[in-house]
Amino acid sequence: MGTGAAQVISLSPVRHRDDVLAGEGLLPVLPAFRELLPAGGLQRGSVLTSGDWGLLCLALVAGASADGAWCAVVGVPSVGVRAAADVGLDPARLLLVPDPGRSWPQVVASLLDGFDVVLLRPPDRPPAQLRHRLEAAARRYGSVLVVAGDWPGASARLTVTDAQWTGIGSGHGRLQARRARVVAGGRGAGERARSAWLWLPGPDGSVSMAGDAAGESGDYPAAPERLRSSG
Amino acid sequence: MSRRPAAAGMPPRVLVLSCPDWQQEDGPAARAFEAVVGVATEFCPQVEVLRPGVCAFAARGPARYFGGEAELATKIAAAVSQRGLACQVGIADGLFAAELAARAEPAGLLVPPGKTPEFLAGLPVGVLDMPDLCELLPRLGIETLGALAALPPGEAAGRFGAEGTLACRLARGLDPRPLVPQRPAADLSVQMEFDPPVEQSEPVIFAAKALADEMHDRLAASGLACVRVQVVVRCADGRELARLWRHDGLLTALAVAERVRWQLDGWRGELPDGEPSAGGVALLRLVPDQLVRATGRQLALWGDCVISDRVARAAIRVQAMLGHAAVTRPVVSGGRRPAEQAVTVPFGDAEVPLRPVDRPWPGHIPAPAPATVYPAPIPATVTDDRGDAVTVSGRAELSGPPAWLRIGGAPVRAIDHWAGPWPVTQRWWDPGQAVRQARFQLVTQDGNAWLAVVQDGSWQLEACYD
Repeated sequence: MGTGAAQVISLSPVRHRDDVLAGEGLLPVLPAFRELLPAGGLQRGSVLTSGDWGLLCLALVAGASADGAWCAVVGVPSVGVRAAADVGLDPARLLLVPDPGRSWPQVVASLLDGFDVVLLRPPDRPPAQLRHRLEAAARRYGSVLVVAGDWPGASARLTVTDAQWTGIGSGHGRLQARRARVVAGGRGAGERARSAWLWLPGPDGSVSMAGDAAGESGDYPAAPERLRSSG
Repeated sequence: MSRRPAAAGMPPRVLVLSCPDWQQEDGPAARAFEAVVGVATEFCPQVEVLRPGVCAFAARGPARYFGGEAELATKIAAAVSQRGLACQVGIADGLFAAELAARAEPAGLLVPPGKTPEFLAGLPVGVLDMPDLCELLPRLGIETLGALAALPPGEAAGRFGAEGTLACRLARGLDPRPLVPQRPAADLSVQMEFDPPVEQSEPVIFAAKALADEMHDRLAASGLACVRVQVVVRCADGRELARLWRHDGLLTALAVAERVRWQLDGWRGELPDGEPSAGGVALLRLVPDQLVRATGRQLALWGDCVISDRVARAAIRVQAMLGHAAVTRPVVSGGRRPAEQAVTVPFGDAEVPLRPVDRPWPGHIPAPAPATVYPAPIPATVTDDRGDAVTVSGRAELSGPPAWLRIGGAPVRAIDHWAGPWPVTQRWWDPGQAVRQARFQLVTQDGNAWLAVVQDGSWQLEACYD
């Protein structure tokens, strides 16, 4: 069908760079997440959860977005676009549906057919039947559904279990970086939980590994810039 | 009025009517501008809309009828302001000069016949809508249109190419661009009635394809294209559903029919279960919206970014379900508050950068940026150890260290760390927009970090960092 849309040049499918640990059907992630995810990337057609809405959700899909994937965010009216851009998401390939209303399942299903990644914060706890329908949609279209919330059938669950902000005191300094322990659990009981300390975010808003000097009140390794109350 | 013919080569007299408040907007404002165009058509039936907020028509005939150009300008300005709208009127030889005359403060300018080159000579080259040339010319010492006009024509063509030739001609007041009068959109709209009303979508979609073909033929016959097409569906019970779709002269008849299908599907999805159907579709109408000259130009749907078919289809499908404005894409923008640092634009609309990003924005909150930015700040209370509300004096002194944070009805959270106050005084010169507040960063015991602002003694949370 020669629709007008045909005159808009097609984007080639997301291509993986060589240095990214990516097999067929894998969307790349930021290096900090490679060890956490069983496949070393986002498996196309899978569903992941990432705890409550926060930087972790954005960071999880940033690698794919930076690699050319299209990303839609459903049900989150409060996306920090600047933070998303700093973590590596490309705002030019980002679509927001802040308030999908009652028809959110149809919205998500439509977006899964077209977008590589759909970030969803469901307005209510979806019943099992609905979850299975959306899981099937993700499988059919080969896209990834990342849920901020509860999703019993998810193939991987990431949560922040421990977090500490650095750079801020009592009446001085400012928020500089957050050292966060991210735990990734799998579906099966046999799957061993992996965990890693990340800078989530680092002082420039990016996300990186933070080493595993757990317990220490570790400061960000880079020479901390003078903490002036900039105002 | 003298009846002397226009001097050879001089462009005809043109009147430009400009509503400055609307120039920055797209979308609803463009439609609101139809009212102004309506006023203009009372003076001259052949009006061209240049862009939302600006329209033009040939001034010679109407000026003769209304007793001179000055009278015409006064009358049309009065007619527009009667509707509560501010406008500026400019008349000059040619569209280019007339548009610039309309921009002149305070209320536009009437450039007498033949005086257009003198009027243009004093203007900076920046008024040319040619970014490359506007950057180059001042570096060569050519800062005004007068200086540009003084260049020998052959020289300009040799040095600056076709664009330079055009710029030179414009600077001399020789405007090559003829007016393209807009026919009222209603003339070009097409519709089909269904009697009896049809319940199924298919016949409507089939009719939509034929209607779209007819509309495209009519547009092409007038040398026009439309930026959007409005699809109006009326039901047997009188309910009407109208939705605007981006067109840009790019949609084929099939693509228009497909949008009609999405619109019908989306609408059926909205009906709550059990509600009796609206009695079928009684009328389908396609109205071309925002007519422009057909130039064969193709606008990218997604700004400069190339967008794939699948992505566009998915986004447009969701727009069909939720409405045009419910699907947006973010544009990073400049600003101090986190909420100012991004604007959202409905998918398919042209993006409008409001505030440049690459300015220092003194007083902005330093990186890292918060991951959650509340569309509207959340009221909160912050108290010190003794339970008294924490206040900030005019000299940025705290009544006591913040110790407890309560957000709405949630349990009180202990504040572990905090930083601030960072006073912000914005736009003190403008009483309407002046803001005087102090910002804090708070880290609560549960590990969450917040950006809080206190203004007139009350606390609000603007963003959350986690």
